[in-house]
Amino acid sequence: MKCRQKNPRYRCVWASTVRRSRYFPLLVFLISAPLFAQTPASDSPVPILTGTAGYFNFVTAGQNEIDTQINPVLLVPLGDHWLVESRAEFEGVFQRPPDGGSYGGMVSKNLDYLQVDYIANPYLTVDVGRFLTPFGIFNERLYPIWIRSLQQDPLILPLSAESSDGMMLRGGFPVNAKVNLNYAAYVSAVSSAHNNSQSDRNVGGRMGVFLPRPRVEVGASWQKLFQGQRSNAFGFHFAWQPTRLPLNVHSEYARSNQGSGYWVDGAYRFSQVLFWQKAMRRLEFAGRAEQFFSGQISSDEAQALGLPGANTREGEFGLNYYLHDGLKAVASYGRQFSSVGNFNLWTVGIAYRFAVPLGRVGSQ
Amino acid sequence: MKFKCLATIWLLAVISAIGIASAQPRTRTATEPAVRRAAEADAMRLEGEKRFRANCGRCHAAPQKFPPRMMATIVRHMRVRATITDEDMRLVLYYMTQ
Repeated sequence: MKCRQKNPRYRCVWASTVRRSRYFPLLVFLISAPLFAQTPASDSPVPILTGTAGYFNFVTAGQNEIDTQINPVLLVPLGDHWLVESRAEFEGVFQRPPDGGSYGGMVSKNLDYLQVDYIANPYLTVDVGRFLTPFGIFNERLYPIWIRSLQQDPLILPLSAESSDGMMLRGGFPVNAKVNLNYAAYVSAVSSAHNNSQSDRNVGGRMGVFLPRPRVEVGASWQKLFQGQRSNAFGFHFAWQPTRLPLNVHSEYARSNQGSGYWVDGAYRFSQVLFWQKAMRRLEFAGRAEQFFSGQISSDEAQALGLPGANTREGEFGLNYYLHDGLKAVASYGRQFSSVGNFNLWTVGIAYRFAVPLGRVGSQ
Repeated sequence: MKFKCLATIWLLAVISAIGIASAQPRTRTATEPAVRRAAEADAMRLEGEKRFRANCGRCHAAPQKFPPRMMATIVRHMRVRATITDEDMRLVLYYMTQ
């Protein structure tokens, strides 16, 4: 506007040229980075040890399984632009042998992510290290046990790698007052079959459009494997949180040569019912319907990856009761149908989320 | 004498008028910014709550309010994890710490 007032003949030729130029994103990045406001010292972020702990009893086809897990998350902010974050998973799964006797099992250790984030500007964050693969929404956003509404993993979760080692560019920004855009693009350079830190060589990305007013997000993901069969995988996701109802709906579809499938998940909080309000607002009803279709791999290969060995349908519903903010009791029932056999899935347990500052925080 | 008396009354009236006129803006400057600040803070809190429900509420229930320095770390982590916008992050942080 200023340049038009000074010299109307040129009509901001320089500005429009730059705007049309392919270097415009780079220019935005370089100019906006120094404009970040410095955080006042009294409000500067402090390192935190947070995470979840849980105890669950899974009864699958009559077989009882005790699952105990602790998933610590370490967050170390550095200055105004940096964050080092990591999550580990320690899980003990114990079963009673078929012929009776005491429970036995093993404890597994896994490094889910260990990444350095550089918040370059409001549009771009650069992540380097081991990160959760941004394929769909479950793996990145809904996986922690205190967040997920049902404790069983969706059948299609193993279709993409849970973690990748390499570099990722990501960000979210408003396109206008009604639309936000979010994206993630990554390259995983390390192929590792190590038990505690598996990853594949692949490249991929995810793009999501979020409409804040109706609270709807739709998005798509893609991944290309650079090893083995060099296969492609793609998926779509949907999330909706109606403004008038305490309801959360999530859904994903994914397809690769290993198989395809979808899940739809809904969680309704009884905060609007007119009786026993104190107790009912802590209660949540959750349900999920899902289906898996076998791909071009053998049944044994599928099971080794954690996928069902045959075409499978599953329905599950349950109740979650929030004892307080970070502590919830869960109970659910589901039934799985496949050509291999039909069986029931029962879950009862408790999930806890903790957060401890690793520095002085002052008063709240 | 009458003229002097009228002149004195006129002068006093002028001085009073000037005094009242100058006093009024002073009162306005003292209270208005505070009122405006409070209104802005309320608006930011409301907007922050709206952004919190729209962005964070999609995945999880509202957590308890942590001290500001903890919230600053948590919101930075969530900005990366959930790819929320810079503006949303600032408003959510304001809502969660005020």
